[in-house]
Amino acid sequence: MNGDGPGGEKEMSLLRARAAGEQPMAGWMEGEQMYADKQLVIRHTIPTNGLSFAGVIDVNNADAVADALKSQLEGKGDLHLELSRVEFWDVSGIRALVAAAESANSRRRIVLHGMAPLLRKVMTLVGWAELPGLEICNCGEEPG
Amino acid sequence: MNAEPNPAHDEFRHEALLYRGLADFVDRTVPFIRGGLEAGESVAVVTSAKHIDALRRELGSDAGVVAFADIAVIGANPARIIPFWQDFIATQDGRPLRGIGEPIWAGRSAAELVECQRHESLLNVAIDTETPIWLLCPYDATCLDPEIIDEARHSHPHVTAGPPATASREPQRKSEVFRGVRASGMPFATPLPDPPSEATVLRFGSGDLAVVRGIVAASAASAGLDAHRADDLVVAAHEIATNSVRHGGGAGVLKVWPEDGQLICDFNDAGHIDDPLADRRQPSSTAAGGRGLWLANQLCDLVQIRSHPSGTQIRLHVRG
Repeated sequence: MNGDGPGGEKEMSLLRARAAGEQPMAGWMEGEQMYADKQLVIRHTIPTNGLSFAGVIDVNNADAVADALKSQLEGKGDLHLELSRVEFWDVSGIRALVAAAESANSRRRIVLHGMAPLLRKVMTLVGWAELPGLEICNCGEEPG
Repeated sequence: MNAEPNPAHDEFRHEALLYRGLADFVDRTVPFIRGGLEAGESVAVVTSAKHIDALRRELGSDAGVVAFADIAVIGANPARIIPFWQDFIATQDGRPLRGIGEPIWAGRSAAELVECQRHESLLNVAIDTETPIWLLCPYDATCLDPEIIDEARHSHPHVTAGPPATASREPQRKSEVFRGVRASGMPFATPLPDPPSEATVLRFGSGDLAVVRGIVAASAASAGLDAHRADDLVVAAHEIATNSVRHGGGAGVLKVWPEDGQLICDFNDAGHIDDPLADRRQPSSTAAGGRGLWLANQLCDLVQIRSHPSGTQIRLHVRG
């Protein structure tokens, strides 16, 4: 991914809730890193049973994201994802999330926190906003 | 009620109605609507707000059981109209239906008109022959170009020109003139106008998706697009570029330019789309692919696809 290409600095100002490098939403603390590539970092979070995402999820790392999510669904309880620093998340990335939610057993859900409004809109338009294993928390605008 | 506008219809009937002005529109469509209601059929009407107002006044209390939708909302991008009708059909459990759809009006841009005509052709293959829906597509002969009326004659198996009482149906059209099904089987035939020489050009590969987004966002900002519309275009452009990377030979060429208050993104790659309905098949929650084109149609004002075995061109239009 060519992050320093034309427009690289200003491109995502409208597409994400916060700038990369900032702290996660209030109430979330980050623990150890569980995945990283050149456009995305995923960390465990404390105290919630969850993961925080910062960066870009697209066709280049969607499979890796799906694997990372599935590995976390082996435990118990809902899996919470902190998404306020996701700069861009495309359809192949959303598909990875959906695949993970579908692979979870019926008592486990993936709960999405801090989603940018645009991401939510895209999920609705492609018919993925209302899946049984997926819940969207209304904490995108007012973290905490 | 005149009997003529109510032939039994147990299969898909796609009919053009050539009318002359608002009063004639009402005179010709109200019997069609009432005929459907009297037969116990569900009726949906997708036309301009002005036409909807006139129909509501004329229908009185009957208007309450008709499903009205503003074409400017449902079908500003004509690729969203077929999914609308498919939704309508899906909710009705196979009962006979009637619909009025007026996708073409004076004031449509040249690019929109071409895509509206493509939509009309595609309807012939998008809806199964055995689906009991009678779709009436009104064309205002007083203000549309003769070429448009002529094209309507070619894209509709049935054409009605006279007033209801003396309806001059043309039952032989299907064999003589109608070429809708064949036309929709020859996808993407009309070439698009060349991009202007001053368009921004980018050759991109799999590592350049952020550059694609950056160029589209920067061009949208300098073209003065509203921030939300700019976001829509960035997302759509990213998905089309992703398709080029995944299915179009691993790379593509993007050209971006402003035109008449719109920003246009034109993509070329080596892929081939052989399904003429590829961009308007509603994604199911289980299907793996095919969402990029669908999403582009939901986000953009117009999406133009031209595909041949030698390559695919996709042009996105978003108005400020």
